[in-house]
Amino acid sequence: MNFHAIDWIIVVLYLAGTMAAGLYGKRYVTGLGDFLVAGRKLGTFIGVATLAATEIGTITFMYNAQLGFTAGFSSFIVGLISGCVMIFIGKTGFLVKKMRAMGIMTVPEFFEQRYSRRLRLLTGILVAIGGILNMGVFLKVEGTFLLLISGVSRDYLKEMMTGILILEVLYTVLGGMVSIVITDFIQFVFLGIGTVLITGFTIYRAGLDNMFHAVSTNRGLAGFDPILNSDFGWGFIVFQVLLWLAVDTCWQTTAMRTFSTKDPETSGKVLVWTGFIFLGRGMMPMLWGIGALAMLGPHVDSLEAMPVMIAKILPVGVLGLVTAGMLAATMSVNSSYLLGWSSVIAQDVVGPARKEPLSQTAQIRLNRVTNLFVSLFVWFWGVWYTLPGPVYFYLNMTGTIFLAGAFAAVTGGLYWKKANTVGGYSAMLAGAAGTVGFFFMKLPVNYAGVLSFALAAIGMIVGSLLGGSNKRAVGKIA
Amino acid sequence: MTNWYYFWLFDFAVAGTAFTVILAIVAVRGFADLMSMFRQLDEEQKK
Repeated sequence: MNFHAIDWIIVVLYLAGTMAAGLYGKRYVTGLGDFLVAGRKLGTFIGVATLAATEIGTITFMYNAQLGFTAGFSSFIVGLISGCVMIFIGKTGFLVKKMRAMGIMTVPEFFEQRYSRRLRLLTGILVAIGGILNMGVFLKVEGTFLLLISGVSRDYLKEMMTGILILEVLYTVLGGMVSIVITDFIQFVFLGIGTVLITGFTIYRAGLDNMFHAVSTNRGLAGFDPILNSDFGWGFIVFQVLLWLAVDTCWQTTAMRTFSTKDPETSGKVLVWTGFIFLGRGMMPMLWGIGALAMLGPHVDSLEAMPVMIAKILPVGVLGLVTAGMLAATMSVNSSYLLGWSSVIAQDVVGPARKEPLSQTAQIRLNRVTNLFVSLFVWFWGVWYTLPGPVYFYLNMTGTIFLAGAFAAVTGGLYWKKANTVGGYSAMLAGAAGTVGFFFMKLPVNYAGVLSFALAAIGMIVGSLLGGSNKRAVGKIA
Repeated sequence: MTNWYYFWLFDFAVAGTAFTVILAIVAVRGFADLMSMFRQLDEEQKK
């Protein structure tokens, strides 16, 4: 057992405090707008905290550390691209300002306003499939991390997954976005402190010189030059730029934060600040992975190396504090993802399929029910599914199922007058089809990723040109 | 190899510093934002 009594006390106190704060948010939920987008009251700094907390989880630390362990310093290219793309979008307002100005609550809503109700339904289905499959591996990876860092036996993985799930469902189902904003703030502070502490201890214990030698000995020049690295190369870099453009604008959990800000200008500021955080969100855990390579050698499991190293280097007390930070990261990501994907099912799949619109109370109830079903699916998927390779690549491609098409359709819909419903359908279906190569034909992630975005763009252009006149022009919606 | 190493070390230094500084700023000013959000939601509930 790596944990001492003081570590357990810190973790339990943290959990109790966060649960109390999450339940406190319930009193503010009176309508659907409060439940899904916190009444659109987010200022810049709380917006940064909630967006950063949503997109920084134990899963993020695990896949980034795994990249650092396997690819060395070359992996930093991923962190660099994710941060720079977000800063670019925040500075230019590309897509996000126009979408925020439309007053929508979910990305598929855009498709009904700009294209058609049926295309919104198709988009909702693809968003839900991609998003839930994406989230499907979270619990298992997070459970593994917590067991390794605490030193509890691996036999308790299912119990650990169940415990994480029950806690996050409780306050997400009860309080919606207001609860999530409160807990995200607490969690951002905890996970941020945890991130800085682990980075400091990794540099102190592993040493930068040792890391350099470990990477040069075990990975060679490919551990420094991302173009030479067989997992990356130019194709991967192009895919990453396109993917992060799509994630920052069309990924439901990110978009919900920009939709929740008090005005379009605030959404831009939130993205610029969070973009700088994203540089560290990528590179700091990647350095932990490199530290694990230096301290444990190359023959450890790439995903498990980082938590094993952390358990070795952190002193008593700090280990509990850091684990609380990691739990914070886990809860904030999972609760937001649960809310994000279940809201898409409720708002964009069940809602548009009904002839009679649901009352606000019924919509909140439907959101809560879908929340529970998504949770159960995620638990079973985590137990049953075995990852085909690095976690990061799996997450990229499940996201691309809808991101490639959504990015083409949203960009066309906002900036091209000839974009129409046929183009929208073609983009969504062609983009999703491109990912088949990765899941069923073992096509490398860089080829499959670029192919998906290229097919989606071609689908948008060709479909729109062949599809005839457009009833909902750009000027009418933005 | 060494050039790449120093390039990534520089990037890492920028990223780590930005992360730490923004963490400190957001921890302080985010709390004020949170209180302001509660006030606005309270006022709307009273209407």
